[in-house]
Amino acid sequence: MKTRRKAFNAVIYAVLILLAAVFLAPVFIVIMNSFKGNFYISEEPFTLPKDEKYVGIENFIKGFTQSDFLQAFLNSAVITVFSVAGIVLLTAMAAWYIVRIKNRFTKMLYYLFTFSMIVPFQMVMYTMTYFAFELDLNSIPGIVFIYLGFGAGLSVFMFSGFIKSIPAEIEEAAVIDGCDPIRTFFMIVFPILRPTAITVAILNAMWVWNDYLLPYLVLGSGEKRTLPVAVQMALTGGYGNKDMGALMAMLVLAILPIIIFYLFCQKYIIKGVVAGAVKG
Amino acid sequence: MAAIEFRNVIKRFDNGKVTVIPDLSLEIKDKEFIVLVGPSGCGKSTTLRMIAGLEDITEGELYIDNKRVNNVAPKDRDIAMVFQSYALYPHMNVYKNMAFALKLRKVPKKEIDKKVRWAASILDIEPYLDRKPRALSGGQRQRVALGRAMVRNPKVFLLDEPLSNLDAKLRTEMRSQITMLHKRLQTTFVYVTHDQTEAMTMADRIAVMDKGVIRQFDTPQKLYAEPADMFVAGFIGSPRMNFIECEIKRRNDYLTAEFAGNSLRIPSAKTKALEAYENRTVILGIRPEDISAYSGGMNMQESCVITANADIAEMTGGEVNVYFTLENSRCIARIRTERKITSGDKIKLLLDCNMAHFFDKETTKAIGRI
Repeated sequence: MKTRRKAFNAVIYAVLILLAAVFLAPVFIVIMNSFKGNFYISEEPFTLPKDEKYVGIENFIKGFTQSDFLQAFLNSAVITVFSVAGIVLLTAMAAWYIVRIKNRFTKMLYYLFTFSMIVPFQMVMYTMTYFAFELDLNSIPGIVFIYLGFGAGLSVFMFSGFIKSIPAEIEEAAVIDGCDPIRTFFMIVFPILRPTAITVAILNAMWVWNDYLLPYLVLGSGEKRTLPVAVQMALTGGYGNKDMGALMAMLVLAILPIIIFYLFCQKYIIKGVVAGAVKG
Repeated sequence: MAAIEFRNVIKRFDNGKVTVIPDLSLEIKDKEFIVLVGPSGCGKSTTLRMIAGLEDITEGELYIDNKRVNNVAPKDRDIAMVFQSYALYPHMNVYKNMAFALKLRKVPKKEIDKKVRWAASILDIEPYLDRKPRALSGGQRQRVALGRAMVRNPKVFLLDEPLSNLDAKLRTEMRSQITMLHKRLQTTFVYVTHDQTEAMTMADRIAVMDKGVIRQFDTPQKLYAEPADMFVAGFIGSPRMNFIECEIKRRNDYLTAEFAGNSLRIPSAKTKALEAYENRTVILGIRPEDISAYSGGMNMQESCVITANADIAEMTGGEVNVYFTLENSRCIARIRTERKITSGDKIKLLLDCNMAHFFDKETTKAIGRI
């Protein structure tokens, strides 16, 4: 019985390792090829960058200087930072209001936010783009505003779940101690929400940073383009030979900040997800 | 240091659909330790929250220190509150928790430090000032909550079931600590609990509440000895008072209460009030501790011997709680006896007539107090 169980576990592990390898392979291949010369990228894409194939950080320098990478990187960074900051702050406030003020309006508001989570972007894409241009939102501040709307559903949902687990007595104690609602939020509620706020920030940062369709539709592929749009243009745009080495390096540079951000904050994701599940 | 007065206060919830406090008038004297006691949902916490300003008053007036406070914000009422769940700020350490209210009031740092350390030394929590609440035990958290209230030096201390999350041993310890704190601070304390033992041991006066109405507001001694109605009589005292239906009969020059073939001679002090109930059914109330094991040779004019079957006998150390049935009423006697009593035993019990209470069957009010 024990041997059969061990054999079964071994099979399960083998399948899981294989799956992990399949999912990680593309990332690994991109990183590997970003250190190789153009010739070897097309001829031997699956070999390691060593000996004559290894070109050091040459591809990264080319990728960084070519095709306005820096401009696109800055655009993405500004949009991500402001969108995430706005989403975290405003949806935390909205969720606090929805949870603590119980009436028909807040109930309806909550359902509206959760409903927005299930509407696919493609469904509203055309009308949203139309209104974005009509309202002059086809700018970097404009897209930050649009991201606030699209990110609100999930964020309000997550914050509400956590706020429900905070005893209202803590806020009442703050009121007796002398806090007005603004102080109660910033000095008591928001610090308690920190694990969830970090989770919300990570999830939204990954989404906004990697998003392609919305910035492409609203900002286009001009000087306001974001990193995913710039990478896609470098991949498919223009004629003749492409500098595959520079492209691979651009891909690595594009995913690097969000991976660092994720690794830095990942312990909070776990905390944020389980927070409130049990009474501490 | 302040008196509190409720004048015909009404509290309704759900846009006036649910009335929790129908009409409350209550005067709490300066420096008094008042306990609001009653079963869950009786309105005691709502009453406390109205004093705190956490609940609006639908109708009527509330005065703290002779000042009408109906529309005064909680922070301006000069009150401090200790909550059942302690309500400590989880992201602040003990020191910051205690200093928070003073910091908001822009008290100088030196003075804050002095006050926090003074409260911490009284409550014996000095070694924990750097710790976060999650690193403290229940008792320590409760002391921090008290300390947070103390540093404010408020006019009124409000405590909402502060001991209900603690274990029995710690509860007894904290009970005496809160009583000592009241003596030391010389401030008005309003304490809410559903535990009558807490109420009896701590209060100067107790308000027994039921369905938003104060059934009796008096000293613990008076509540125990002269309960105003069956609710108070049943609520105060543990185990609860026994209630037995009986008929008032006249025998020559005295009255008796007759039940289940037994006759209890009514003491002359209570005869006058019961004369109006001759040949009528009333409720006899007798506390378990006023029933003893009969060993013969007693003054039978002031006592009544009954014979009963012990349904259950619970040994509690020096005493035995004997459960028995009389006139379809489940009764309990707390007796000291050297004889071993087991379930099913036939026992002779002595009821102390002087300690008997009589209640009107219809109104449930104590006869003689109506």
